[in-house]
Amino acid sequence: MTLTDQSTTETAPTGADRVSWRRFRGPIGAAVIFLALLGFWVWLVESETVHRVILPPPGEVASAFLTTFTEGFFYEHLWVTVQEVLLGFAIGVALGFSLGALLGASALAREVSYAYIVAFQGLPKIVLAPVFITAFGFGMMSKVVMAVAISFFPLLINTMSGLMTVDPEAVQLMRSLTASKRDIFWKLSVKHAMPSIFAGVKTSLTFALVGAIVGEFVGARAGLGFLLASYSYQLQVDRVWAITFVLALLGIILYLLIEWVDKKVVFWGKRGSSIDIGM
Amino acid sequence: MTTTTVIRTEGVGKTYSTAGDEVIALDGISLEVREGEITSLLGSSGCGKSTFLNVLAGLITPTVGTIEIAGQPPKPRRQVGMMFQRSLLFPWRTVIENVLLPAEVMDLAMDESRARASELLALVGLDGWESRYPWELSGGMQQRVALARVLLPDPDLLLLDEPFGALDEMTRETLDLELTRIASLTRKTVVLVTHSVYEAVMISDRVFVFTPRPGRLSGIVDVPFGRPRDLETSGTAQFAEKVSEVRRLMVETDR
Repeated sequence: MTLTDQSTTETAPTGADRVSWRRFRGPIGAAVIFLALLGFWVWLVESETVHRVILPPPGEVASAFLTTFTEGFFYEHLWVTVQEVLLGFAIGVALGFSLGALLGASALAREVSYAYIVAFQGLPKIVLAPVFITAFGFGMMSKVVMAVAISFFPLLINTMSGLMTVDPEAVQLMRSLTASKRDIFWKLSVKHAMPSIFAGVKTSLTFALVGAIVGEFVGARAGLGFLLASYSYQLQVDRVWAITFVLALLGIILYLLIEWVDKKVVFWGKRGSSIDIGM
Repeated sequence: MTTTTVIRTEGVGKTYSTAGDEVIALDGISLEVREGEITSLLGSSGCGKSTFLNVLAGLITPTVGTIEIAGQPPKPRRQVGMMFQRSLLFPWRTVIENVLLPAEVMDLAMDESRARASELLALVGLDGWESRYPWELSGGMQQRVALARVLLPDPDLLLLDEPFGALDEMTRETLDLELTRIASLTRKTVVLVTHSVYEAVMISDRVFVFTPRPGRLSGIVDVPFGRPRDLETSGTAQFAEKVSEVRRLMVETDR
């Protein structure tokens, strides 16, 4: 370090400079891309490559975005969607965990249900929306069911695979300690599966949002998906884009929330079910 | 002082059948271990010594033979503690929580157990590390925690499956000596599985030599050195003699 300092004092960046560049290069790069995208957007509109009816200029979308937050009815729609997502997510997680636990614990259950799991995994679950609307009506119920239907699955798979990778020797240890099956499940297997389960929880939350919005698209009287579809029919495209950004924001907030919980609950991260030594 | 027999096995055998093929893992193992004794099951890998230890622990059911642990058939119980080659500490538990795992599972009184866990951590030289997590510890320290954990329910019999086998030689030697110190102090009966002749002679009162394919007991060697032992012990001529006696038994029976 001192050698380079002496020989190239004028041109070489100092250590402190390098450190601060490393710290800020990510955000700076992201900001550059943001400005580039914004410029591209303005160019698309100004050059009339894309018609204003499809893509209004950023300024109009921004003002529509801000106006949206001043309107009382927006919050009613937001609240409906948030309820649907959270309720669907909660039920989906409970269902996915229970079924995943059953499948993780029982080889028989896995053998019996394997074909159904593969079939359900292959099914584009969005096609269920019209069925659910018919069955559960235009209210919140059908959206909750839709959110459950597509959010429980990642959790089921992740719970199952997490439980199945438990270290057999750790199970032997628990058995040697006279542990009951229940103790082995809760004190070892579930804890071991937690990192995998939480990866599933994150996906489930995103999926629950998709499920609720798709349900609202297909048939609803309230909710952000309903609001977005209505604006679309009325050709209020600036409002459509405003709601789109609201939904993106909602998704990001929910994700950050769950990631925060993840870091608190699964604090040991990828350190496995047990610490290996020299192997 | 009368010595009672803690372990008595008679013609214990274990056969695994895989794809029509029968593999004899253990054949006709008859032995006795007396109270307070430190013994080793010594043999090369594949000789069934670990299988035999698991049979003693009640984790594997033998195909034939009878086993009595303190007069009862083998099964996991509080009086029998088992330790493995890997520490098997749970990364979501702190050091003290790991040591307290047996207390939770066995429904022991928590206040007493907590006090005992602290004492045991001090005994294995880890006081002050209670609220650390296993991944913050070296391999040797992790095995010390595992030792404190197995001692928590105060078992009479310790079954140790190469507990320090994955550690470097210096650490293993230190822990071997500490193990014998603690076992003597707390009057435990110990059965240790190892493939190291040196380790077996160093810590045992008696060495059971196993031979592979099928796993058989080929001989028993008495090691009449008193306790406590230290590194001086291993430098004596008698020690070297014992090592070659055991080694001869392993080589002869290997052919």
